[in-house]
Amino acid sequence: MKYEYVKADRGLERKERPFDPLSKPSGPGDQESGPKRPDTDSPSRDNLMKRMRKVDPKQAEKYRQRTGE
Amino acid sequence: MNPIRLFGIETEYGIAREDIEAPDPVVESMELVRAYLDGSFTRRWDYRGEHPHEDQRGFRVAELAQDKEEDLYAEQDAHRPFSFHEMKSDLVLPNGARFYNDHTHPEYSTPECRSLKDLIAHDRAGERILWVAAQRRNHALGGPMIQLYKNNTDFHGHSYGCHDNYLVERALNFETLARGLMPFLVSRQLIAGAGKVGREAQERGFAPGGFQLSQRADFMEVELGVDTMHNRPILNTRDEPHANRERYRRLHLIVGDANMCEYATALKIGTTRVVLDMITGGALPPCELNSPVQAIQALSCDPELSTLVKQESGGMISGLDIQREYLNMARKFFIEIDEETTWILQEWEQVLDLLERDRWQLVGKIDWVTKWWLLETFRQAEHIGWDDPWLASLDLEYHNLDPERGLFFGLEAEGRTTRVCLEQEIDEAIKHGPLDTRGGLRGLCVQRFGRDITSVQWEGVHFRSQNGALHLDLLDHLEPVSVAQCRSVIEHAQTPFDMMESMTAD
Repeated sequence: MKYEYVKADRGLERKERPFDPLSKPSGPGDQESGPKRPDTDSPSRDNLMKRMRKVDPKQAEKYRQRTGE
Repeated sequence: MNPIRLFGIETEYGIAREDIEAPDPVVESMELVRAYLDGSFTRRWDYRGEHPHEDQRGFRVAELAQDKEEDLYAEQDAHRPFSFHEMKSDLVLPNGARFYNDHTHPEYSTPECRSLKDLIAHDRAGERILWVAAQRRNHALGGPMIQLYKNNTDFHGHSYGCHDNYLVERALNFETLARGLMPFLVSRQLIAGAGKVGREAQERGFAPGGFQLSQRADFMEVELGVDTMHNRPILNTRDEPHANRERYRRLHLIVGDANMCEYATALKIGTTRVVLDMITGGALPPCELNSPVQAIQALSCDPELSTLVKQESGGMISGLDIQREYLNMARKFFIEIDEETTWILQEWEQVLDLLERDRWQLVGKIDWVTKWWLLETFRQAEHIGWDDPWLASLDLEYHNLDPERGLFFGLEAEGRTTRVCLEQEIDEAIKHGPLDTRGGLRGLCVQRFGRDITSVQWEGVHFRSQNGALHLDLLDHLEPVSVAQCRSVIEHAQTPFDMMESMTAD
């Protein structure tokens, strides 16, 4: 079944049955797959890498929001 | 039919306070907005004009999926020492934009714009205004405690939106509109996705690993629907035109990501406007998808862009080919073509070609490609896997509004992003609204008669005067000629009463 019908106050509503919502995406999830490494020997590399290394590895883990629209 | 072109973007920002373990999101969002106003909160948003339960399909729903949660929050908020209006902290700015606390997220809604260039300048003006507010708030707190993020997820299953809005003729049947748009919206993420590490499920958590095109695709649950916080639809059916209801609809799209790249924002809004023009002109969609929700998630999860999705006809089609079909349709549809449409079609074609043969040329233009490039560079340098939590943190920091911390801004500072508007155009957009839309008129009212304004809505402005309450109706000021006439009256009036007298005399 691809669709399920859910009862709503405005009658039946077609709702698609989602596939596993927490399955990993394909592509670069596999470390060896994906397009070739981009050219990183640009003048910006060092500055950007420094900026990226300063990011707290747990920043996303600590970041919490309420659901919005 | 020659449709009026008017569009705008509403962005809910993520807000973090780094010196407290469990900050109160209502207070933080409220205080951030309040930090932007030097005076008192005397101007109010007139909520009587908002009708989120009205559905474009011709009915009104008794309740939204989020109503119960909203009621619960309202009950909690009732115990706070703030009134409803203090918590919302609605600001209407001299550029015609709205800046307020929406669902614990600081939200910036651009004024209505008629050109892509104006819209990009106003979207970026919003970033600058929020950053100024954060700096003021941080000054009051004594350090850089507040950080703002122009993104759509907290990596724990909570999403917040960046909505794009378009004025559409009511004469266009909604079912025709939905049918014509659906495959385009499902595949629009190829040019407008902001990119995301891992996968999420609505309020049920985060699975690290991998990279996908879109921040919002995980949160799309139905094709059509009036809800916006739960049970989110690819095509939102809220019928809240903020214009003459007999003549117009407002297409309110909640499917999109917040973009950092100016070029991606321009292409997202531009291509959507082109597709709307075609549908309004009677064009039929080039294909129909068998399962749009599965398709939007499947396409998002494949940055290689090789995934095929099923059509109603039974055949399979890639996201790139869906986009190409719409582009080909546009090439044939437009006979007399204006400068903006020429730019959109040319860039659209170039992006689709580069996505197929050399996507790294799109670094600095398309967000998901740019983010992927940054993360892949870092991942290889640090010898970490895609499931390392550091990558989700870098994903978040890509969207940080702090020019010293944000990864996108680091790239921009080095001149590696494609700009669509000039810095002076952004500076101008912070101060003034577009000259040719009612958004500019709203801003002009705030500039000239701000102290006399009692409340504002998208469709009008209420004033107090010695002669009693006055109302400037902006409902029908949609055409440039009408806007110019109204602007002239506001510019030459000494008081709101003068202004209304002149309007009546005209």
